[in-house]
Amino acid sequence: MEKTHNHPTDELLAAYSAGSLPLSQALCVSAHLEHCPACVRKLQRLNRVGSELMTQLKPAAASAALKESLMAKLDMLDEETVEPAPSVTDPSIPRCLHQFIERGYEDLPWKRVSADIQTVELCRDSNGARVELLKIRPGGSATTHTHLGDEYTVILEGSFSDESGVYARGDFMVKDASDKHTPVATQDRECICLAVTEGPIQLTGFFNRLFNPLLRRGYA
Amino acid sequence: MIQPRRRAVFIGDRNDLLFNMKTMCKNEAHSDKLAALSRCMTQVAEQRDKKAFATLFDHYAPQIRAYSLAREPGADLVADELVQEVMTRVWLKADKYNGRLANLNTWIFTLARNCRIDYLRRNSRFVTEIDPTGIFEEIEDETPGPFQRVHQSRMGESIRAGLEALPREQAEILTKVYLEGKSHQQASDELKLPLGTVKSRVRLALKKLEVLVER
Repeated sequence: MEKTHNHPTDELLAAYSAGSLPLSQALCVSAHLEHCPACVRKLQRLNRVGSELMTQLKPAAASAALKESLMAKLDMLDEETVEPAPSVTDPSIPRCLHQFIERGYEDLPWKRVSADIQTVELCRDSNGARVELLKIRPGGSATTHTHLGDEYTVILEGSFSDESGVYARGDFMVKDASDKHTPVATQDRECICLAVTEGPIQLTGFFNRLFNPLLRRGYA
Repeated sequence: MIQPRRRAVFIGDRNDLLFNMKTMCKNEAHSDKLAALSRCMTQVAEQRDKKAFATLFDHYAPQIRAYSLAREPGADLVADELVQEVMTRVWLKADKYNGRLANLNTWIFTLARNCRIDYLRRNSRFVTEIDPTGIFEEIEDETPGPFQRVHQSRMGESIRAGLEALPREQAEILTKVYLEGKSHQQASDELKLPLGTVKSRVRLALKKLEVLVER
């Protein structure tokens, strides 16, 4: 089984560790991390770099007033804090998505966009990126498309293949504007992906091109 | 016969030797300090010890303020707010910190980073509904294996030494990304460098620090 682009790149992981990644992309990295102990270990080393850099900064003294006001609050903090009730979310759903998914994938308001694909938008990021789930039926294919911006995808359930290889659960990939691809879900089961798109998707078939202006409107 | 030979080596490598001894002492002092702070963490977790918490505050508050000021120079109120947030979490999450398995400095860094992300989200002109809590916190709280523990202190030393030896332009990029919280695109705009160059400098720096190799 050939696998490509399965992990976030090192510099993307470093940006995640530094906290300088847009939250929508951080969401994808996080979903990948839950399936990838190797990237978690790498992340821990990257966090260590951050901590060493922080340690090397010239300390900026804190005022006595700041310390006093915090010390005075400690007892109150203990009283106020209530452990949040454990949510009853399906354990196969990445924890970073629990904020959007109450019970399971089935209960989401899926919308059919083609015979093979259903989508549900989870949210938008502050940079306008659209965060959504895609569901491709077994053996189904997503229309050939390109992107105006980057597209981040993480496979949550099932698997799919495209021109560059086979992708399974946890796999992470980034496609940029120059990549054209046609993902096809494997025959045995449906495939659910987390997808973050930074600009409108461009369909590349002749008829699809006619519809592009309509699609773009969704991003206005 | 052995004596003069040894002396020759000693004289030849004198500076190296002195340097090594200095770094060794520095590293030892560093790990002693860290061990003392870790004990304070345990006291806070187990006995809600306020004196131990005050020691942690004295050590980390100036670092957290410096971290905040690196991103927003002159913004003292923002820096104070970050200290409040981070140290509050230290108090409340003390029992979540496992001293035998994770480095305390790194734990504090990730808390500071998470609080900064949260602060920026709440104060951004552009709203997003994405809650960073579930994204960053839990995965990294999970403990590394015993194998990692053995390599932890050595890893810290090699990263520290590596940072000192890094070419200026690579150190500059890491500072922009980690401390100033700049995205690759922002770093590229500010340094007037192509985006690809920024990314490759990050990658080169990390390669030199050996954080990308699994040991």
